[in-house]
Amino acid sequence: MSKTIRLGTRLRYPITIVKLLKAPGETVQKQERLLQYSFKWTKEVGDTIRGETWEEEQTTIADWDSPADGELRQWNIKEGDLIEQDQACLVIKEACSHEIQFQGLCAICGKDMTEVNWATDSRDTERAPISMVHDQTNLTVSQVHAQRTEHELQRRLLLQRKLSLVVDLDQTIIHACIDPTVGEWQRDPSNPNHESVKDVKSFQLEDGPRGVARGCWYYIKMRPGLEGFLKRISTMYELHVYTMGTRAYAREVARVVDPNQRLFGNRVISRDENGNMYAKSLQRLFPVNTNMVLIIDDRADVWPRNRHNLIKVSPYDFFKGIGDINSSFLPPRTDTLPSETAVTTTNGLSTTITPTPTIPTAAASAAAVGEPVSALDDLVSMSGGEDAAITQLQIEEQARTLERQINERPLQALQEKLDKEDEEAEKSTTPSEDGEDTPSSPSPHPRHQVLLDDDHELSYLEQHLTELHRIYYEEYDRKRALHRSSTTVDLAAVPDVGQCLELLKSRALRGVKVVLSGLIPIGVDLQRSEIGQQVTSFGAELRNNITKDVTHLVVSALRPRTKKVRQAARIPSIKIVNKDWLEECFSQWAIADEEPYLFEVHPDDRPGGRTALAEGERERLSDVDEDEGPPRLRLVSASGDTRELNEDEDEDDESESEDDLIPDFEDGETSPIDGLKSFNWNSADEELNEFLAGDSDDSDDVMDSDDGDEELTAGSGTSSGGSRKRKLGEDDDEDEDEEEEAESELDVALDEPSSRPEQENGSVKRLKRTTSRGKSSLRNQFISGDGEVDTDSLPTPLGTGDEEEDAAASKALEGGLQPPPPAASQQSSVGGDSVFDEIDEAELEADFMAEFAAADAPASVTVVGKEDGGKSREKG
Amino acid sequence: MFFLHNLERRVTLHPSYFGRNMHELVTTKLVKDVEGTCAGDYYIIAIMDTFDVSEGRILPGSGLAEFTVGYRAVVWRPFKGEVVDAIAYSVNPHGMFAQAGPLRLFVSSHLMPDEIQYDANATPPQFTNNADMVIEPGTHVRVKIIGMRTEVGEMWAIGSINGDFLGCLQA
Repeated sequence: MSKTIRLGTRLRYPITIVKLLKAPGETVQKQERLLQYSFKWTKEVGDTIRGETWEEEQTTIADWDSPADGELRQWNIKEGDLIEQDQACLVIKEACSHEIQFQGLCAICGKDMTEVNWATDSRDTERAPISMVHDQTNLTVSQVHAQRTEHELQRRLLLQRKLSLVVDLDQTIIHACIDPTVGEWQRDPSNPNHESVKDVKSFQLEDGPRGVARGCWYYIKMRPGLEGFLKRISTMYELHVYTMGTRAYAREVARVVDPNQRLFGNRVISRDENGNMYAKSLQRLFPVNTNMVLIIDDRADVWPRNRHNLIKVSPYDFFKGIGDINSSFLPPRTDTLPSETAVTTTNGLSTTITPTPTIPTAAASAAAVGEPVSALDDLVSMSGGEDAAITQLQIEEQARTLERQINERPLQALQEKLDKEDEEAEKSTTPSEDGEDTPSSPSPHPRHQVLLDDDHELSYLEQHLTELHRIYYEEYDRKRALHRSSTTVDLAAVPDVGQCLELLKSRALRGVKVVLSGLIPIGVDLQRSEIGQQVTSFGAELRNNITKDVTHLVVSALRPRTKKVRQAARIPSIKIVNKDWLEECFSQWAIADEEPYLFEVHPDDRPGGRTALAEGERERLSDVDEDEGPPRLRLVSASGDTRELNEDEDEDDESESEDDLIPDFEDGETSPIDGLKSFNWNSADEELNEFLAGDSDDSDDVMDSDDGDEELTAGSGTSSGGSRKRKLGEDDDEDEDEEEEAESELDVALDEPSSRPEQENGSVKRLKRTTSRGKSSLRNQFISGDGEVDTDSLPTPLGTGDEEEDAAASKALEGGLQPPPPAASQQSSVGGDSVFDEIDEAELEADFMAEFAAADAPASVTVVGKEDGGKSREKG
Repeated sequence: MFFLHNLERRVTLHPSYFGRNMHELVTTKLVKDVEGTCAGDYYIIAIMDTFDVSEGRILPGSGLAEFTVGYRAVVWRPFKGEVVDAIAYSVNPHGMFAQAGPLRLFVSSHLMPDEIQYDANATPPQFTNNADMVIEPGTHVRVKIIGMRTEVGEMWAIGSINGDFLGCLQA
C-alpha cells in the first residue's frame, strides 16, 4: 500500500533541499532522518539597550524525519530544489496501512496505534474510524476496508437474491413487560386472560435491573404470526436485530424469537454497542451504502438519518398501558397516533395509581405510558459531551419505570377496573359498550379480558416486504440487462431500495385528500409532523381546510366536536373517520374500508343540528373557492356580506378568519379557544382583578425593600405600588383614560380606603400622579399617625426577613420610640439634601425619580427627602 | 508465560474485624482483592502464600488498620510471540474474537491462512476452510500473540493463526 507523504505545513517555507539521505528502495522507519533542508530567517542583532540593532539574515539547516514506516519508493523532489509551500515529497510503500484496529492495536501488524510522536501530523488511530461490527465497538476499520466489506456483503446478497432487513424488537415484533400479573394469569387457567397469555415466553436477566426489579421475569409476547413471518421473510431478507434494549436483553429476546439462531445469527446490535443514546443509525452497520437495507420499526423518530429506508409499523401494544419497557433510552414519543384505547387506559391508570410525589418518578411514569417527558426532553436537547451522566440517568429512570411496573401491576389494575365495569354493566343489564379499552365481544367468559390478541400487522407487512423484494429485483435485472455485464453480480446496477419503497408507498393512498382534526398539537407544522409526513409519504394529499374535494376527515376521538367536523358533516362526500382508519391504511398500504371506522358525529354537529344551524347561517362554504388556487374559507355573515373577520364573541369564526394569516398554527389542534364559549367571563374578571391586586402587592414588596419608610401604613404601600405600575406602563402608548379606569377598578377591588385620594386624582396627568406618590404617602402617614394601623386588612405579601425586620422596626417606631411620623417626615425632608450622596441604596431610586424632577420639581424633592428620611431614621 | 512472583500490598481492615484472627482476615481480604486482577502488564492468577504480614497501623481519621503484606503469587504475563490457547467468542467478517483466560484477543482475517474464509451463510457464521477447520463461537483455537497493549486494569492482544500448528484445536 503506497502512501504519498507531504512535507507538512509546519516548515519555514521557502526551504531549499540540501540533501536526500535515503535512496529509493531503502527501508525507512518512523522518525528516521530522510532529508536535510535549509531555510533563511532574520535575526535581530546588536545592542538592544542602546537601541543600535539591525536585522541579519541567517541560514539554518534542519532535518526532516519520516512520519511513516515502510519502503521508500520514490522522491518527488531532488537536491537543490527550492520549495515554496507544502507539497508531496515522497512515496512510501507502507508495510501495513493499519486498516483494522482493535482497542488501539493494529489488527494486522500488532503495533500500538496510540503512540504519538513529533514526526506525524495525524494519529494512527484516525486511520480506522468506522465501527461496523454488530456486537463490538472496539473493533474499527478504515473507510476503504468498510467499503470492501460492504461490497462483499452486497455481492453475496445479490447472489442469493436477498436484501438486508433491520428489525426492531420492542413493540415491533414483540411486546415485553415485567408485570408479574402475567405470570399469575399464565398459571391460572380460569382467568379470562389465560388464553391470551399462555404462549407468552419469559426469561430472567442475570445482569438485569437492580433494586426491586432485580431478578424479575420478563414476559415476551410475540406478535401474532411472527414465527411464520420471519421464516418466510428470511428467504428474501437477511435479518438484523437493532434494539435499544441492553445486550443481554437483546440476546434473550433473540433466543425466544429465534431459538436456533437461523434467522438472526449473530447479527444483533443493542444499545450497548450503538454508540448513540437517542438515535439508531443504519450507518452504524452499513457505513458506506444503504441501498439494500430496509428497516422495520415502530418509531420513525429514532431513525433521523434513515427515514428513506424505514417502514414504520404500528406499535404492537399487547400488554395494555405498558408501552415500551426500553423507552427511557429513547426520546419521548412524538409521532403517535397513540391508540385511543391506550390513552384512555393510561389516563385511567394515572388517576388510579397515585404517582409518587418526587418529580423524576412522575417523569418516569410518563415515560412508561409514552407521554412526553420534560426532564428527559431537556436532556435530549442539551445532549452534550456528558453521555455517561445521561446514560446513568436513563438507567435510573428505567429502573424506576420497571419498579413501578412490578409494584403497581398496571395489568391487574386494568383487569380489576374492567371487572368492576362488567359488574356495573350487569347490574344495569345492558351490555357495556362504553368505549372502554376492550371492545366487549360476547365472550364465553363471564369476565372480560384485558389482553386481546388481535393484531394483523405482520400479514400486511409480509405482503409489503414481498412486494418490495419483487420490485427491487425486477429493477435490478432490468438495469443489469442494460449494462449487459457478463458477471453474475453487477454492483453498478444495484438500485436503491429506498426509492422502490417510496414508489410503492406513494401509490397506496393516491387520490385521497385528507384533513386532520384534533390530531396534531398546536404549534406543530402540519406537513412536518409525524402523521403529516406519513400521510404524504403514502401519496395522499394533506389539506389544511375542509373543501368540497376533500375525501376524508380524520378525527381524534378525544376531540369529537371541532369546527372541521361540523363543516365536513355538511358535505356528504367527505367521509368522517377516526384515526384508526388512518392506521389501518398505513398498515395495509391501501385505502382501507371506511365502514368500521366511520365517526359518529355528534347530533348537534350534524347539518340539522342545533349548533350547526346557528353557526351554519354565518359560516357557509362558498362555492367560488373551489375553483381558486388555494382552497380557502370565507365567512358570510347573516346579512349576506362576506367578511374576513367577525368581531363578535364567536371565537370559532375568529379563529377561522385567522387561518389565512397563520396557516401552520391553525390546523394543529382544535382551536385553542374552543372552550371559551362556555367560559365564565365574570369569574375571569374577578381573577384578573385579584391578580392585579396581587401584583400591586408585589410591587409593594419592591418598594419596601427600596425604601424602608414606605410600609408605615399598608395603604401608602398599595397606592405607591399602583403608581409604580403606572410608571412601568408609561412607555406604552396606551390610552390614559383606560388605564385610569383600570387603576380605579383595582383600587375598588382592593377595597382600600387609603387609596381614595389616588382615585380622586383620576383625571390628572400620569406624570403628576406618579410624582405625587410621595405626597399621598405622606398624607397617609398623617392619617395613620393617629395610631390606627391597618396593615392586617391587606393581603399580606410574602416578605423577606429584612422586610419583617423593617416592619417590626416601623411598628416600634410608631410605638413611640421615635418621634411620630409627621415629625419624622419633616425632619427627613429637611435633612434630605445633606445625606443624599452617602446613601447607595437611595441612589437608584433617586435616579429613577430624577426623571420626574423636570415635570414637578417640588414633588420630587419631597420624595427624595422622604427616602433619605427613612435612612436617617434607621441610623437614629 | 507464568511466573512465581513476590509482591507486596497494603491491606486495610475495618475496626470491627480487630481481634485474634486478624492476620487470617488480612490474608482473606488480600486474596479477595488481588486474585484475578490485572496489575499493569500481567495478571495475578493465584496467591500461593503470604510470608510477611506487618503490624497493623491505624490510619488517622478513619480508624482502619493498614497492614503491609508480602505475598507470593502465580502471575501470567503474555508476551509478544507467545502461543496461547483461547476460545473464540465472536466471529465477524473482519476476524474473530477469542479469549485466553482473562485476555481478549482479536485475530484478523488477514492473519489467518488463505484457505480459511468467512462464511456468512452458515449458522452461526464461521471461518472455515470447508474441511476440518471450522471456527465459530466456542471453538478452541491456538493463537500466537503478535501485539499487546495495556491500560489500567485491562490488556488486549492481537493474535495470528497463520503458522504451523496454529488454529483450530481438534480435541
